[in-house]
Amino acid sequence: MASALQADGSAGKKIKITASLFMGMAHILYLKEYVKGIFFMLTEVVFLIVSPSIAVKIINLITLGSPQTELPIRQRGNSIFMLIDGILILAVCAVFAVVYALSVKSAEASYAEYCRKKSFGTQRDSFNAAVGKAFPVFALTPSFIMILVFVLVPLLFSVCVAFTNYSSPSHIPPNNTVDWVGLDNFRALMGGEAAWSIGFARVATWTLTWAFCATLTCYFGGLLVAVLLKESKIRIAPFFRIIFILPYAVPSVVSMLVWRNLLNGTFGTVNRTLMALGFTGTPIPWLGNPVLAQMSCIMINLWAGFGYFMLLAMGTMTAVSQDLFEAARIDGASRTQVLRFITLPMVLYQTMPLIIMSFTYNINNFGAIFFLTGGNPTVVDSTTTSAGGTDILITWIYKLTITLMKYNYASVVAVMIFIVLAPFAVFNFRRTKAYKEGEL
Amino acid sequence: MTERHTAEHVNKILVYIIFTVISFFVLYPLVYVVSAAFSPGNGIASVNIIPFSGGVTLIHFKELFFGSEYGKWFLNTLIIATSTSVATVVIASLGAYVFSRFRFMFKKSMLMSLLILQIFPSFVGMVAVYVILLRINGLDTLWGLVLVYIAGNIPYNTWLVKNYMDTVSKNLDEAARIDGAGHFRIYTTIIMPVARPIITFLGITSFTAPWMDYIFPKMVLRSVEKQTLALGLFSFVTDKKNEFTAFAAGSLLVAIPFIAFFIITQKTMITSFGGAAVKE
Repeated sequence: MASALQADGSAGKKIKITASLFMGMAHILYLKEYVKGIFFMLTEVVFLIVSPSIAVKIINLITLGSPQTELPIRQRGNSIFMLIDGILILAVCAVFAVVYALSVKSAEASYAEYCRKKSFGTQRDSFNAAVGKAFPVFALTPSFIMILVFVLVPLLFSVCVAFTNYSSPSHIPPNNTVDWVGLDNFRALMGGEAAWSIGFARVATWTLTWAFCATLTCYFGGLLVAVLLKESKIRIAPFFRIIFILPYAVPSVVSMLVWRNLLNGTFGTVNRTLMALGFTGTPIPWLGNPVLAQMSCIMINLWAGFGYFMLLAMGTMTAVSQDLFEAARIDGASRTQVLRFITLPMVLYQTMPLIIMSFTYNINNFGAIFFLTGGNPTVVDSTTTSAGGTDILITWIYKLTITLMKYNYASVVAVMIFIVLAPFAVFNFRRTKAYKEGEL
Repeated sequence: MTERHTAEHVNKILVYIIFTVISFFVLYPLVYVVSAAFSPGNGIASVNIIPFSGGVTLIHFKELFFGSEYGKWFLNTLIIATSTSVATVVIASLGAYVFSRFRFMFKKSMLMSLLILQIFPSFVGMVAVYVILLRINGLDTLWGLVLVYIAGNIPYNTWLVKNYMDTVSKNLDEAARIDGAGHFRIYTTIIMPVARPIITFLGITSFTAPWMDYIFPKMVLRSVEKQTLALGLFSFVTDKKNEFTAFAAGSLLVAIPFIAFFIITQKTMITSFGGAAVKE
């Protein structure tokens, strides 16, 4: 049969159909690529053998189980396990579909090669080619599996939970089942339930304000110090530089917890010192008053973060070509002019993308808030929503998950963060050299 | 003295004043940590507002090593950090090599998904990770936590190393290929040595991150003898307990290596930061 394979391209359709009918069939029947063909066929056989259990898992994913009040709790189906297994199985099916598509493509490619050469490669050639292609596959497999199981499936799970009623007290498996509820959670958080909507709007606003202020203060603080260090020409500048990077070097859990204690309203060293010096008669509620606590967060974050931007700005300034400065000096520019028209614009231009990255980082800056204030102090809606005056979305997700077990609302918030941040990621991608030069 | 000189003089004094004020704020909490680590008493209230004036004692360090599980926490964290770092370097660099040197279908979409996946802190999918670990018996084990860390590290770092490898000329590995070297050989003998700066960076960052992570250890590790440093230190200053001085002593021991490392490498960091910004 194989000898009858036309080399003029007219058998293209036949190859495509056989390849699509059963993985690897075209490889074995017509193209004499037995190693590859058997591998593909085995893949499909395994898939077909397990397909009944796949079907069960997918049905479970759709129904999420039915209440089985007659059974003891231990034997009841767990909706959450069904959800995760279902997503994992769907991912596996997607991988299978991709492999299937690749097998068809590979058959077509082999046929095209045959038409060009008018003869088949030897078995050895085909084997060598397969081994050569195996390396990237094997090298990527660990990454692929890890990302699939521990990153992608959890994220998809989060997205799915946003459309279920998985929450304490009445929908926690295995006692109860969880059901799909469509957009109910989104409605509840966006106007449906007063306390939750107010809480969500408040936390979202503060998250954006926080990310904006935290980034700008650190950026300009760092830039200012870097410029002063470089331009002032004082002798002990290196000494100051070492002091200034200390906060960046201290792990943030440590520094935030230390500040939390120092700023403590009653026992904190800051208040005791201020009172001993007579600046204030009553303790200042640094972390006890919502507005003051927000200011404290931004100030302490400046303390912790300006060192990073100082290093960044200094690095960029040293990297700016010396020729530019020479040229400016020859043209008679003063030091202030060089600073204003050359150094600053260059540094700004170079570090602009990093400002954007820092903004996205601060939106998710769990540590700075959680360890400093724990999201406190409490405000009006805190009893229902558990979100305090300084909680940002990401710390709120933590509280919703750990304290309140309102997994459904936590997932809605996560989806909202995704919608806000995904464009930044795409922007970063488009900015890379490889993308711009079309090498991908 | 000309007017210009006077102006410069005034400027210099102004800069000194500014720097001294900033230094004061920067050093303020750090001085109190050191002072608290050596002062008698437990809570923050017992730390004298004038540093070191309340007496000096080593009792908190003694308590850490003999009265708490500090040594055990340290060892656990060291094991976690080392395995995370080694595995991240191997897996991410292999992936990066493939992305940098091979052409294949879906490459662009795979790279794009790596970037999109890394914008989330991994704990957004916390509940799912918990259930998955539960099903593979990875709860309350160090390896379970290490798996979570590695998976979280891969997307961004593969991307980072791939970008670096793209800047390295392909002539060397093409020459080696003509000489008959296989892909794995090229990866170990040519790519890895050339990519050493970024590999070192990756090794260090993935080694340091687990020392102070809080959420995942909190979720995965339940038993006292399996805790990490961050969990242990945090437990000193929760609302139930207020042992600020012990916390300070423990933090000091962790922070000193970090700070020493930063001060030693600050020059390199300035140049690499600059380089990174310019290259992008």
